[in-house]
Amino acid sequence: MSRIVLLAAVAAAALAFPHLVTANYFIHLAVLAIIWMIVAQGTNVIQGYTGYVSIAQGGFMGIGAYSSALLSLDAGFPVWIAMLVAPLATAVAAIIAGYPSLRVKGHYFAIVTLAMNMVIFIVLVNWIPVTGGEAGTSGIPAPEPISIGGLEISFERRVNYYYLVLVALALVMLLVTAVVRSRVGLVLQAIRQNETFAEAAGVACWRYKLFSFVFSASLAGFAGALYAHYLSFISPAPFSVDHSLNAILAVILGGSGTLAGPLVGAALTTALPEMLRIAETFRLIIYGVGLVLVVIFLPRGLVPWVADLVGRFAGRRKDAGAENR
Amino acid sequence: MLVDLIQQLFNGLVIGSIYTLVALGLTIIFGILGIAHFAHGSVAMFGGYITYFFIASLGFGLFPSMAAAMAVGALLGVGLERIAYYPVRNAPPINAFIIALGLTLIIEKSNLILFGVDQIIIPTGFTRVFNVGGVTLPELRVYILAIAAVLVIGLTILIQRTWMGMAVRAVAQNRPAAVLMGINVNAVSMFVFALSSALGVAAGVLVGALFAIAPGVSGGLVVKGFAVLILGGLGSIPGAIVGGLVLGVSETFASAFISSAYKDVIAFLLMIGVLLVKPEGLMRRSAAR
Repeated sequence: MSRIVLLAAVAAAALAFPHLVTANYFIHLAVLAIIWMIVAQGTNVIQGYTGYVSIAQGGFMGIGAYSSALLSLDAGFPVWIAMLVAPLATAVAAIIAGYPSLRVKGHYFAIVTLAMNMVIFIVLVNWIPVTGGEAGTSGIPAPEPISIGGLEISFERRVNYYYLVLVALALVMLLVTAVVRSRVGLVLQAIRQNETFAEAAGVACWRYKLFSFVFSASLAGFAGALYAHYLSFISPAPFSVDHSLNAILAVILGGSGTLAGPLVGAALTTALPEMLRIAETFRLIIYGVGLVLVVIFLPRGLVPWVADLVGRFAGRRKDAGAENR
Repeated sequence: MLVDLIQQLFNGLVIGSIYTLVALGLTIIFGILGIAHFAHGSVAMFGGYITYFFIASLGFGLFPSMAAAMAVGALLGVGLERIAYYPVRNAPPINAFIIALGLTLIIEKSNLILFGVDQIIIPTGFTRVFNVGGVTLPELRVYILAIAAVLVIGLTILIQRTWMGMAVRAVAQNRPAAVLMGINVNAVSMFVFALSSALGVAAGVLVGALFAIAPGVSGGLVVKGFAVLILGGLGSIPGAIVGGLVLGVSETFASAFISSAYKDVIAFLLMIGVLLVKPEGLMRRSAAR
């Protein structure tokens, strides 16, 4: 019951946000934060639920961003179609990349995906006729305006784009929740707990791992498409390894293997660097120290920690509170 | 054509020997503690900067500076192990990895604050160039190969012939049994961090002498180190040596004969190819998967 109230309150706050905070800069940050939440939720599927750390999410976001941008710019696709094709294109890339790399486990897998991200980045920088190289691609159109009941909604306006990414996030959350709670999700968690045992119980683990990897990559690709059509300009820089690490950080910070964790984590990793605007280098040092402290003292992440605290207080007041969590 | 091949082979071995030094540090740490020490590259760069500082500001010679920097690097390594990695030794491996990422940020940006953004080339004074049958052998590159060889041989003797080296191997093979035999695992992990950080610093100095030290170099270096580990097998010392040389040579050949912009792509494709055919690495017999 209290969960539904909390969910409704968060949804209401998200809907009211652009009217409460009218400064363009904050709405801009909120759009970016939501896009990162989608990437982080994808990372959570492979890292939090399946137990495989993929450092390629930034690169997959890049594949989605460039394919959507180029489809709408050069091939003349409508933006809406391009944005739906982008996750599929990313999924194809993830199948090709994931098939060989999922043969290995643990650190090997992490390092291979890291290399994959570097390959994607190098290709984005050097394949100049298509991607425009480091100078990037500009003039990417916003989605075509739609009209609901005679009211035309243009996505050139920042507030409207905010609602667009919010709807996208809600859909992604529904999809991820459905997957995680399905039989497939249970198998993924079994793989995280003990892959040898899952294999021995008759599960063809590689299929589920490949599914998890491809699903998380296509979420990143979808987020990339949203990103490209929002900024109307993309260059390879946001799709480097640094940003894959950022997504991992968001998941760890918020709480990996929880549905709410990546959202909180992505909001923090977008907002904190903006708040700590002392100087670029000092800011990143503080960021690094914070990261180390969180992992040492709150290894499960913020969301489970807060939930425990709340649970403990509630438990003290009424003894049966433990089960409602 | 043959001269070309030998020339590229030489260049590849020089770069490969630096990769080997980086990878050796990573592989010992991984073998003992199971940590993917991502901050290793920034430690190496820190060592390069500090060597430059000793030479340019304090007027030390090249080799004393390098030795002093390796000592400082060893201390830094022990400090990292105590402060950051020790508290998470019993947590899942991903936690140590995230710690490593945090440390990378901290050290990388501290380098930036302490030593500035300009790129630095460590002055060596080795400018002669030998010419053997049409193959150009710059003096500096020959020395780099020699220094790397001396360090690798020294490490091998340390690991194979000394009591501490035996303790390190014992912990790598079977940690609980080593503890039962009275080996102080804490001392071993500190020793391993000191040793591998010193090796990393040496690699950083060689990079600084051969190319340059600049912000952002460390990331590439540590990723190459991990690529070597995958080629050779995680935790394997012979694997790090062979893998480093293979990576260096194949990268040089790729950039000379195929495309220099895509040389890293070719290196990574090689790595993925090895994973497909021999997932346990080139030098490992047992399939640990």
